[in-house]
Amino acid sequence: MKKLFLVLVVLLNPLFLVGCWDRIEINDIAVVTGLGIDQKNEKTIELTAEMYIPKALGGGGGGSGGGGGPQTYVRIGEGNTIADAISNLQEKIPREVFWGQTKVIVIGEKLAKEGIRVTLDFLTRHTEPRLRAHVFVAKGKAKDVLALHPPLERSPSEVLRELAKMKILMDVTLMNLLQMLSGDAQAAAIPMVHILPPQKGMEPLQTIAYINQTAIFRKDKMVGQISDKLTRGVLWFRNEIKLSNITIKPKEGKGYVSSTLLRANSQLIPKIEGGKWRITLKAVTEDDVIVNGSNLNLMNPKFIQMLEKDLEKEIEHRLTQTLEKVQKEMKVDILGFSEEFQRKYPKEWKKVKKNWDEIFPSVEVTYDIKAFIRRPGMSTTPQGLPEDEVKQK
Amino acid sequence: MIEKGRISALQMSLLIYANIVSSAILTVPGITYKYAGRDMWLSPIWGSLSGFFVVFIVYQLNKLYPMETLIQYIQHILGQIPGKIVGFFYLFFYLYAGGTALRQYGDFLVGAFFNRTPILIVIASLALASTFAVRAGLEVLARLSDMFVPLMILLWIMIVLLLIPELDVKNMFPIMENGIKPSIMGAVSPAAWYTIFFHISTLFPFLIDRKQGMKWSMFTVLAVLVTLLITNLATLLLFGGITGSFVFPFMSAARYISYADFFENLESVIMAIWIGGTFIKMGLYNYVLVLNTAQWLNLSDYKPLVLPFWMLLTLVGIWTAPNLPELAHSLSVTGPIISHTYFIVIPVILLLIAVLRNRMRQKAGKP
Repeated sequence: MKKLFLVLVVLLNPLFLVGCWDRIEINDIAVVTGLGIDQKNEKTIELTAEMYIPKALGGGGGGSGGGGGPQTYVRIGEGNTIADAISNLQEKIPREVFWGQTKVIVIGEKLAKEGIRVTLDFLTRHTEPRLRAHVFVAKGKAKDVLALHPPLERSPSEVLRELAKMKILMDVTLMNLLQMLSGDAQAAAIPMVHILPPQKGMEPLQTIAYINQTAIFRKDKMVGQISDKLTRGVLWFRNEIKLSNITIKPKEGKGYVSSTLLRANSQLIPKIEGGKWRITLKAVTEDDVIVNGSNLNLMNPKFIQMLEKDLEKEIEHRLTQTLEKVQKEMKVDILGFSEEFQRKYPKEWKKVKKNWDEIFPSVEVTYDIKAFIRRPGMSTTPQGLPEDEVKQK
Repeated sequence: MIEKGRISALQMSLLIYANIVSSAILTVPGITYKYAGRDMWLSPIWGSLSGFFVVFIVYQLNKLYPMETLIQYIQHILGQIPGKIVGFFYLFFYLYAGGTALRQYGDFLVGAFFNRTPILIVIASLALASTFAVRAGLEVLARLSDMFVPLMILLWIMIVLLLIPELDVKNMFPIMENGIKPSIMGAVSPAAWYTIFFHISTLFPFLIDRKQGMKWSMFTVLAVLVTLLITNLATLLLFGGITGSFVFPFMSAARYISYADFFENLESVIMAIWIGGTFIKMGLYNYVLVLNTAQWLNLSDYKPLVLPFWMLLTLVGIWTAPNLPELAHSLSVTGPIISHTYFIVIPVILLLIAVLRNRMRQKAGKP
């Protein structure tokens, strides 16, 4: 009797796990994987939700991976505010919208220029969206980006997330963005995506959007963008550089040598001397040679030394270009200078905090870059070149 | 004596540890950041002084009246009628503190997970569960904490370890930019949590190894200190300047964890820590409340009081604040003042009176 009662208690236990008033079944929710926000016209906001289509009772799930139709669909809600747009969106979806898996947020260019703060407030105040969602700015409209049918990944937002995770260019999560916007520098950088023109013979939507620029924000408004090359310069300053191929043209041995970055570490060292604000960028990088287009025998340590010097110069050259654009032209501190000064010179910082915008362009930057080339790859002498043409010494 | 059960000093430590840590790791980071900013990790250190002091005072009082709880010896110290009156205020405060703790639990659960569930259901069901434990006696409560607390600690360690790759040490510099004052201001609220150590005054008479009591209690203050310090540090190093913009920073931090695209959404772990801990916490509050009330009324058993106090606690939980900002305000401003009055100022006065009385009695005894 007692045993029977115990069994009953155990069996009844799951009754307590239903979640009270918030009970919801998995087949009653529409899982949003990507969110696009556009400014349609002066008054209207457009909210694009990219949702996953759960396959109807499929066999094992493995079969329909590659081919088949699109696995996501989009719905668009409109409204004067983001809350209105959500209500409007919900009207068009038979299941309850669930934001807990929203891993990608795409902001349309127009909205980015109008200001993004209110949008971000919604995303962090709501209990479901994640701070880890990756944020992008779309060249043009966000809804066009999310409507694509990528040939490789299962949805356009998945493509963007994978691209961001590789860290070729900027990778900004919602948390990073909030940190940048709430910092004293009042500046932010967000990766910007373009739609890749589809291959010949493919449907117009069978393509992806990819990251090739960086949108620069002052306060919460977008003020411009920089190219992929300059973005890598920004990454050097921010110590976020992970992937980079650099091609140099050595003085000797006609032709190019390309190297790939294995690892890099950079550090900003601030200094205030007699009212002059200075920053030294100290960077150490290790590289491998991937292409030897010159006639140098790279097993000769002398040449490697020479290449290292050239590499340092090339990196410095790239960083100067970045500074020219970001510091002198756009005058937006996305490089992290303000934080370094604040950490090292808290007292001086407090005085200039309000007019940092005026001081930032005048900060003098010096470089201390050390490059090491470790290995020439799998080849020693230039491949495919007769031995007497190889420059040995 | 009403309570026949006996517990060990270690079990007492676990009970108190769960009581403090379960709610403190969620609420303290946000409150301390508000005052201390980047120095928020220093605040638990200053706050712990309250904890050490409370343990010391309670231990001294207990040395004078080893087999009695505060409600009992307060009558020896102040005389019967004044003792009963002050005792009543203590009981009332226990009720208020218990109800507020319950409300904190409810607001977290409803705010972060069960948005549409009435808070009454959330609060009442947990309080009910804890009343079952209390009815079974102190020994059962202690064994429950034996079971839950190690699990809680393990889960907490897991969260912190998983956060490590996301942390940026730069976020804590410059240390003490505006001097030591902000971090001390930030310590006021955690200090209120440390004063919860006062509940050892109810548990001390039931210890098997009372000599170890002091040592274990001090050790527990240290354990709480380490837990809060690491929690604050982890949140700060992850969020930096935006730590203050979250209601429950440590939970938002746990949500940020993601490994290999599938090991993520760990807020359920935080929820497990919080519910397990709050269950122990409410068990202890409930127990302290009913036992002391029974002693105050000179009853022979506390069990008849358990259910009525379940309802009272639930009601106080609903009444204590109209909304979350109000609750947070009372936790960071009025809460510390009240709990320091009840758990430090009055006990110190009691101790002084007790010591003076003993001296006078000794003098009178030896003319």
